[in-house]
Amino acid sequence: MPYHEFECSQCIPERIKHAVDKTKNDLTEALPLGYLNTIPGTLSERGCAYCGAKHVIGTPMKDVIHLSHGPIGCTYDTWQTKRYISDNDNFQIKYTFASDMKEKNIVFGAEKVLKNNILEAFKAFPKIKRMTIYQTCASALIGDDIGAIANEIMEEMPDVDIFVCNSPGFAGPSQSGGHHKINLAWVNDKVGQVEPKITSDYVINYVGEYNIQGDQQVMQDYFKRMGIQILSTFTGNGSYDDLRAMHRAHLNVLECARSAEYICDELRKRYGIPRMDIDGFGFKPLSSSLRKIGLFFGIEDRANAIIEEETKRWKPELDWYAARLKGKKICLWPGGSKLWHWAHVIHEEMGLEVVSVYTKFGHQGDMEKGISRCEAGALAIDDPNELESLEAMYKLKPDLIVTGKRPGEVAKKIRVPYINAHAYHNGPYKGFEGWVRFARDIYNAVYSPIHKLSLVDISKDKIVTDKSFVTRQMLSDSQLDESILNSKELHEYTGEFDSLKRLRGRKYPQYPMKGKLAAI
Amino acid sequence: MPCKLKEKERTGVINPIFTCQPAGAQYASIGIKDCIGIVHGGQGCVMFVRLWFSQHYKESFELASSSLHEDAAIFGGIHRVEEAVDVLLMRYPHVKVVPIITTCSTEVIGDDVDGVVNKLNEGLLKEKYAGREVHLIPIHTPSFKGSHVTGYDVGVEAIIKYFAQKNKPQKKLNLLTGWQNPGDVHTLKHLLSEMKVDANVIFDIEEFDAPLMPDGNHIAHGSTTVEDLENTGSAIGTIALNRYEVGKAASYLKEEFAIPTIIGPSPIGIRNTDTFLQNVKKLTGKAIPPSLVKERGIALDAITDVAHMFLADKRVAIYGNPDLVIGLAEFCLDLEMKPVLLLLGDDNTTYGNDPRIKALQENVDYDMEVVTNADLWTLGDRLQNQGLKLDLILGHSKGRFIAMDNKVPLVRVGFPVFDRAGYYRDPTVGYEGAMLLAEKMANVWFTDMEYTKNKEWLLNMW
Repeated sequence: MPYHEFECSQCIPERIKHAVDKTKNDLTEALPLGYLNTIPGTLSERGCAYCGAKHVIGTPMKDVIHLSHGPIGCTYDTWQTKRYISDNDNFQIKYTFASDMKEKNIVFGAEKVLKNNILEAFKAFPKIKRMTIYQTCASALIGDDIGAIANEIMEEMPDVDIFVCNSPGFAGPSQSGGHHKINLAWVNDKVGQVEPKITSDYVINYVGEYNIQGDQQVMQDYFKRMGIQILSTFTGNGSYDDLRAMHRAHLNVLECARSAEYICDELRKRYGIPRMDIDGFGFKPLSSSLRKIGLFFGIEDRANAIIEEETKRWKPELDWYAARLKGKKICLWPGGSKLWHWAHVIHEEMGLEVVSVYTKFGHQGDMEKGISRCEAGALAIDDPNELESLEAMYKLKPDLIVTGKRPGEVAKKIRVPYINAHAYHNGPYKGFEGWVRFARDIYNAVYSPIHKLSLVDISKDKIVTDKSFVTRQMLSDSQLDESILNSKELHEYTGEFDSLKRLRGRKYPQYPMKGKLAAI
Repeated sequence: MPCKLKEKERTGVINPIFTCQPAGAQYASIGIKDCIGIVHGGQGCVMFVRLWFSQHYKESFELASSSLHEDAAIFGGIHRVEEAVDVLLMRYPHVKVVPIITTCSTEVIGDDVDGVVNKLNEGLLKEKYAGREVHLIPIHTPSFKGSHVTGYDVGVEAIIKYFAQKNKPQKKLNLLTGWQNPGDVHTLKHLLSEMKVDANVIFDIEEFDAPLMPDGNHIAHGSTTVEDLENTGSAIGTIALNRYEVGKAASYLKEEFAIPTIIGPSPIGIRNTDTFLQNVKKLTGKAIPPSLVKERGIALDAITDVAHMFLADKRVAIYGNPDLVIGLAEFCLDLEMKPVLLLLGDDNTTYGNDPRIKALQENVDYDMEVVTNADLWTLGDRLQNQGLKLDLILGHSKGRFIAMDNKVPLVRVGFPVFDRAGYYRDPTVGYEGAMLLAEKMANVWFTDMEYTKNKEWLLNMW
């Protein structure tokens, strides 16, 4: 059997089926279990269903008061712990709201308190007329009817609209349970309420995209250059009312199929909108994604023009890094969809060897995609815990891991550099330029002179005393082929610290509408 | 009365200053050596608190969860504590201390954590772990009561109650520090060592600033041992620095073991450090050495350079843990500054009885507001809509946008500070802390002068 037995987990036999070593054989014999309840006391990295709903999907919506109904901690924790920016001065990052449930509310109910809260919040921010409310463990257990309160308010204040998401922390094995709940709640309660102005023959919803460090804004730039109208983004940099008009799109373009396939499938079922899975990471996947969308609308030429322009601009920079990263070993340890979005393309386009993949909250299907795309020999782990991660790193000796902030600190302590997979180091990582930024960050981590110093023991190792500095290139280029070293074409990243700057205020081509859809 | 104590008028919270009780108990838990706490609740109650510590320290700390799922919400989740304890002990053979920290969900469900600890002590620990030293400590921290401050207080109390013993041979001074940074603990230990005083430091978190070593895995953890904790019951005296964070444990030791006890002040600023050293002297009989007279002199010399020329009359708002906020306000007054707004983030009804707050009410000669149950919008609203004028804000990183959007420079102090590097290394206590704070405030003010062209030429000659 290809199951991988961790020494540290021999005492918990049920863990055996959660890790496999990928063989060259049929995948079906090698699929780890996934999305099962967490084993208590393991130091799993998982979050809860509340954060999956509120923090991952709800809060990236930019023009909304996000209020949690519960004690203060849930709100506090899901505030300033992510990098989902917006083009409206980051209201969703700056402000968070809590009903701050206290003991007396637990005993007597907190519906009145909640109502007060809602009124106070709208009063404090009179320009904002939209609100989302999230249930937490405490408000779920005492059985407050949040929906009823929201309806009361909407009757009293006709200019406001409130969305309620009942996804308490315990509602599922991981944050993934919350993704599911909020997807369904939104399509059930909000989609179909607003009729949008259609301005293009080609109208999409951009789904499962959370605008981490500006990913959405990068992709939006390509879509606009193709003359496509982005009706809504679910949910990064997305607008509440735009998302109520999702039913009018011609196509759902789905990025993170782990967290948002549910709403696409429902929109297909209820409104007949087709779902197209795309991938904004990596030159090849991104090019074929843009081409695929172009093909769907019959505007491949527009897609091709962008692909050609961007590839010409950025490929020499990507290749500069790829030449220097070839053969470096990487543990690809993100949350969900990046597992399969990145598994093959960091090998194909950056030359990295993926020695391990893991998912904190993915399902078996995510693992299937990830394992099918990475190299044979790679270790795949579902719901990893801290000891297993350490054991894997000691065994695999990766040059780099790509994971979350805190697990990154775990890796640092055993001298493995890390890049933040969730919030990114210096993103955005989507788009052609973004992919170069990712390669640049990986290169910087792998060839960090300081990292090399951390491997040396001054009490017993031979210390080089004739060098007072080392550059990254002194480390990366010593074994490099002459043809690469002397290449006039390849060069390092030349973009700016803030790569979104040049997108702001950009003028887009105006394509006159041909279809009848303008009449809708 | 120019200094008014009031409660925030709104019921809800917009941008919290404080988080909930279990987070505080978890901060106590990581201060103990060979200890991994189990939080009995949903995964998020641990994952995010670990992230919180990690944001502040750029380190990872070990904490486990009972990983409550839907079935537990309906049928009870106490069996998950049993499983968590077993799994944890099997896989972490060095672990001796396991605080079991409750949350809102498990308190509402009514899981009997004390009962299960008895059951485990009589069953699992005797049968499967016979001969192994294991301490299971229930800590009740429902999230709907108090805040992380009371959670820390309740946590330290439960831990001390569990361990403290009479008649231990070691006779030291108990130093209950309250919620501090490694830099603070370093400074406190230095002051005591100058006075040749041995102390049980609860908790010794100096090694939270953990190294990156050429081999091994030097994960950050506290260094307070079971023995240190046991010794607290036999100490010659107790000094509890932060009333709201370690007051309960100090009172317990006083009542149970008749240990002479002094609660407060937080040694923030020169004056409070003077008092702290006098208190140490009183309890130990040890003299204050010339080295500390000199150290104090260096701090005074440095502070004199910035106080009346730059800091005098600067209007500040301060938010964070209550003992920190009050200590900072007192120090600011000594620096000729004007703390005009103090924000305390929980609904503790005893703040009004605090002699330090009463002293402010009696002596402050300008308008000052002390707001309890406050949030950061209490500050933002005053700045944006009510014409509050400030020169500086003192507080943790969660207020960064309010400061930036209102163009008031923020001096990072407290917990968490995640948007500045290495601040956990800087003390806020002791003479060194006083000096660093005064200089930091001045330097932040200088930078602001330069970037807003506000008499930026002033520093052309200093």
